Formats: sequence, structure tokens, C-alpha cells
Amino acid sequence: MYTTGKIRISLLRLAMAALLVMLCTGLVLAADARSILKESENRHRTKTQQYAGDLTVVNKNGKIRKKGWKSFREGYAGDAKNLIRFTDPPEVKGVGFLSLARPGGQNPDQWLYLPSMKRERRIAAQDRDGSFVGTDFNYEDMEEFDHEKYSVALQGEQTIDGNPCFVIAATPLEKGAKSVYGKKILFVRKDNLYLLREDLYRKADKEPVKRMILSDLQQIDGHWVARKMEMNDLKKGSKTTVLLKEISFNRLHPAGRFTLQNLNREGGG
Amino acid sequence: MISACPARYLLALLLLAPLTAHAGELSGYAEVKGTAYADQRPGRDRLGFGWGTLFTRWEEKKGDIQLTASLRGEEITTGESELAFDPADRKLRRSPLSLRDFWLRMPLGPSDDLQLGRFQLGWGKTDGYSPADAFLPRDLTDPFADEKIPLWAVRLNGYTGAFRYEAVAAPVTTPWRLPRLGGRNAPLGAGSLPPGSALDESETSPPTAGFAAVRLLAAFGDWDLGVWGRAGVRPAPLLEFRPDRATLTATGVTVPVKRRYAREEAAGLEFSRVLGSWVLRAEGAALFSRDRDLGNALIGAVSAEKHFGDGTLLVTLAGNAITPPVDAVRLYDRAILPVLIAAWNRTEEWGEWKLVWSTGLTHGDGLFKAEAGYTLSDVWKVTIGGDLPYGAEEGPFGALTTARQVYAALRRSW
Repeated sequence: MYTTGKIRISLLRLAMAALLVMLCTGLVLAADARSILKESENRHRTKTQQYAGDLTVVNKNGKIRKKGWKSFREGYAGDAKNLIRFTDPPEVKGVGFLSLARPGGQNPDQWLYLPSMKRERRIAAQDRDGSFVGTDFNYEDMEEFDHEKYSVALQGEQTIDGNPCFVIAATPLEKGAKSVYGKKILFVRKDNLYLLREDLYRKADKEPVKRMILSDLQQIDGHWVARKMEMNDLKKGSKTTVLLKEISFNRLHPAGRFTLQNLNREGGG
Repeated sequence: MISACPARYLLALLLLAPLTAHAGELSGYAEVKGTAYADQRPGRDRLGFGWGTLFTRWEEKKGDIQLTASLRGEEITTGESELAFDPADRKLRRSPLSLRDFWLRMPLGPSDDLQLGRFQLGWGKTDGYSPADAFLPRDLTDPFADEKIPLWAVRLNGYTGAFRYEAVAAPVTTPWRLPRLGGRNAPLGAGSLPPGSALDESETSPPTAGFAAVRLLAAFGDWDLGVWGRAGVRPAPLLEFRPDRATLTATGVTVPVKRRYAREEAAGLEFSRVLGSWVLRAEGAALFSRDRDLGNALIGAVSAEKHFGDGTLLVTLAGNAITPPVDAVRLYDRAILPVLIAAWNRTEEWGEWKLVWSTGLTHGDGLFKAEAGYTLSDVWKVTIGGDLPYGAEEGPFGALTTARQVYAALRRSW
């Protein structure tokens, strides 16, 4: 009887210990996801970035359209300012896009400049699901991932193209910012903490609607950068590939580049 | 005036001339367009027409300084255009050769730009109504195209913090270009003239002086605010029918029509706010004129815009609180007021399409516009569309019912 009681107490302790371990493991994994993303941001944060992008949009029927843009960034993720100016083809040449991060984890302010209109148009922060100038990116996709706007959890590990990756689930906090997605699954390369893939799930969807793949990693000016960025619309069956060239980091931008004044400057960079 | 055949050679030569330039960046397009009228009554103008356009644009940048020039050459089978040296678009009819851009922009400081030359201004929304933008000159040769005419002007603009400013001085009046009065596209209500009568439009020289305008804009979080003012010559003409000088011809009575231009001062306010997934706008403007036919105006416009995926819905309601002294149809920049406009634009994988419904709230007339652009490749595009005005002929849209049209265009860009 005494022995049975001791065994029961031992089993109870074991169960409690197991529960504690499971709880702690969960906390550690959650903490790990955050610290991985923080470390990733620390490693890849640059003061500025600029590049020229060659875009290829392939629809489900295989019809190919090419575009070109120049991209300028100052800051990173949650404090980023972005300006994109299309250079090609003629029908979109001069179209400009300005995105300015807002404090408090809110959605950034975004504007689109259309040369035919000669003035900017504001993109409502909660409605950024439209195609970005005929590509498979939407307005939210044009922002860098800011982990502070998400609750994150490490889901495990997976190998992508021979590279072991952390798999992190990111769910929008929906406090200040609103997302067009319900969940993002991030695949972060373990050795250099560079994002290689992002699966994007719409709210209430169980399958990803889009998949962004970053590849052809190279070190430029001491910074890792993916020279190829591919956005797959899994629902529509279309794909937009951006090949980055003329990449440079930490070069000072001219004063006023990230302003509405400059966005409205016809032919301006 | 230059005879048509050498004119075409000259046109091609001038438009192709920049292609030989080595510096700068060239772009442009060639387009052919065919239009057919729904109203096919024999003897009622033409049943349709063709329109060919060649457009070349050249840009040169040296640091922050930019020089841009563009030329448009066109041939319209109606034969109404007359080749003439008309660099400020002041003639009655459009010239087959038109200078669209010729401007230089240079920085005056880190946050201020000076632009001078000939360029186009845009102070409003496409497919909407903005009192700030509505007065800018349009070419109504195609009354449904909403084609703006560029201006010779000097513009100083800049920013400090959340504030932006823009000061524009247009030293020369570029007038609105009206279609041939009495024809299908002339915005004159029924019963303006006795049957069989014709109008004699003679070239009138618009005033040399233009207008000056100042705009101040500010963005505070979800709010965009703006104030503006302008003074000078209003570019839309006031028509003076002179039946007292009518002459009797073999076909009937010919009534001379003169154009004059009034001075006008105006001030306005703009508010815009992001509310959820909507962008809401409100504009108000007070326009003052001592002209007996123009009078004053108090114009308000509210609009709501929402994106639905790749589509955008824009609904605008605009009106004038003061009844004008003459039929509003003859005032052009405010002819359609009061009006409700609903515009739906959508981008598709194959191109884009739009539907616009405008309804005049005084006469119950309206206009349906539909257009679809199919992108064949990065440089080739086919556009088809139609304009369907309907309703009472006294209204600005109903007056155009005989101009109902369908069109198709093929464009090659470079």
C-alpha cells in the first residue's frame, strides 16, 4: 500500500515535471522565434539600400510581361522609408510608390503617383490587397517584414534548397496595424538568419495563397542580399520574379527623396 | 495654314527627329483609333471617323535638373484640325502638330523646385470632380475624352515638414477648346437655334494674361488638408451669340458667335481622410466674378474611394449652390453640376477596364462610359470602349445623345 502510494506520488511528480518541461519548452520556442527574428533584423539591418529591379510577370497561361523599377530604401522594417519608381514598360514608366513607416506599429502611409493623373493617390492602410502595378505583389508585400507587428512561434526546422531553416509562424497582432493576411510562415536560414521563403495565408485559409521565395544569395558591401525574389500567387497560378541589380547599401540618399514632393516630381528618382 | 500633304511629311520629320538624338531618354507611342457614331442619320455630320496619333517624348537629366520635351502629331479624318503654329493652343481648332511638353525643372534648394515651360497641371481625381482642377483647360474635340491641355507656366513648389506648397503663374491664357458648335459634339442644348441656322465661329484672340494660383497642402497622419487660391483669366470661354448680326445665306440664317473670357478669383479648401478602408474627400470652393454671364459660384464636392482587391470604386457628388445667370451647359467647367459620378476601375491579368456613370441631378440626364484595354504585349495594346449619353437634351449629357459612340484603338508604345 505504501509502495503504491509512493509510486503514485512519483508518477504525479513526473507528470508535473513533464508538464513544466512542455510549458517551458513552449516558452523557450516562442522566445527563440522572437530572438531569431530580432537577431536576423540586427544582422541584416542597413541604413540604406538601393537597387534596380528587372521584373518578369508570368500569368497562368504563360503570358510574359516585363517591367523595371528602381527601389530606394532608408531605415529598415519598422522604421523604413521606401520609394519605388517604375522605369519600364512605357505604360507604367514614371509610376511611383512611396511608403513611410509610422510609429507605434501602425501600417505605413502609402501613396501611388500616376503620371497620367499628375498627383499622388493615397493607399488606404487597411486595403492594401490590390495588385501592385500589375505584379503579384500587393501593397503590403512591398513592406519588409516587421516582427514587432506579429506574435511569432517557432514551429520547427526544414531544409530549403539544401539550407537548414527555422520555420516560424507569424500571426498579425492586429493592434495598430492591420494585415491582409491571417498568418505568415517564415523560413529563416539557420546559418545567416536570412529569410528564404515566406508562405502567406489569408484569414481563414488553411493553404497559403502566396509564396515568396528569395534566392541567389550574395554578399554585397558586407551584407547578404537575395538577388532573386519570386512571388508566386498560388491561387491565380501566376508568378512575378524580380532580379536585383546595381545593389548598394548605406549610401546616403539625397535629402527629400522620401517625400511627397519627390514622389510627385515627374521623371524624378 | 500649310497644305495637308507637305504637312504630313513635316509632321513625320519633326516627330522622328529626336530619334537621331544620342543623349536623353526617348519614349512615345503610335496609335490608330476608329470611332463610329450610334446616330447614323444620313447628312448628320459623319458616321464615324479615324484618328491617328504619333507621340514622342524626350527627357534629359543632368543631376537634379531635368529637361523634357514632347510632340504630338495626329491626323483626324474629320478634317477639322488645321496645321498651324499654335504653341499655346490658343486657336479655335487643334493643330495636327502640338507641343505637349517643353519644360525645365531645377532645384532651388534641397526642398524647393522651379519648373518653367509648357507642362500639364493636375489638381484633381480622374473620373471625379474637383473645383480646383475643373477650371484647367480641356480640349473637347472629343467631348468624352477629358483631355487636358498643357499650359505655359512657371511653377515653384517645395515642402517643409508635413507642409507642401505650390505656386503657379501661367502668363498666357490657354483657352478651352470647344468642338464645332452646332455639331454632334457641341454642348448646346436643343432649341438654342432655329432649324436650318448655322453658327459662324471666327477666331478670337484670347487675353494674353493668364492666371496665378497658390496651393498649400499638409498631411497629418490619416488626414490630408489643402487650401488654394487663384486669380486671373478663366480659360473657359463665354459664348456670345449675335442674332442681331445674323446674315441670310442660301442654306438659312448664319449667326455669328464670339468668345470672351472673364476674370475670376477663387479660393478653396480640401480635406481628405483615411477611414478604415475608405478614402473620404471633401472640397469646397468659392468663385467670384463680376461677369454678367458667369456670376459667382459656391461649389462643393464630396467623394469616397475604396479598393476592392484590384478594383477601385470612386463615388463623387458635386454641386453649385448658386444658380448661374446663364444655362450652366454653356459654362463648361461647371456645366455638369450638380452631378453624381460613380467610377469603377479594375486591373486584370489581361489589362484593365472601367465603367463610369455620371448623372446630372438637374435634368436627370447622364452618361455611361465603358472602356477595356487588352494588353497584347509589353508594347502593344488594344482598347475598345463606348460613350452613351442619355436623357433630356437640356442637360449637359443629354445634349450629346447624337454623339453616342463606340471606338477601338490599337497602340504601340516604346
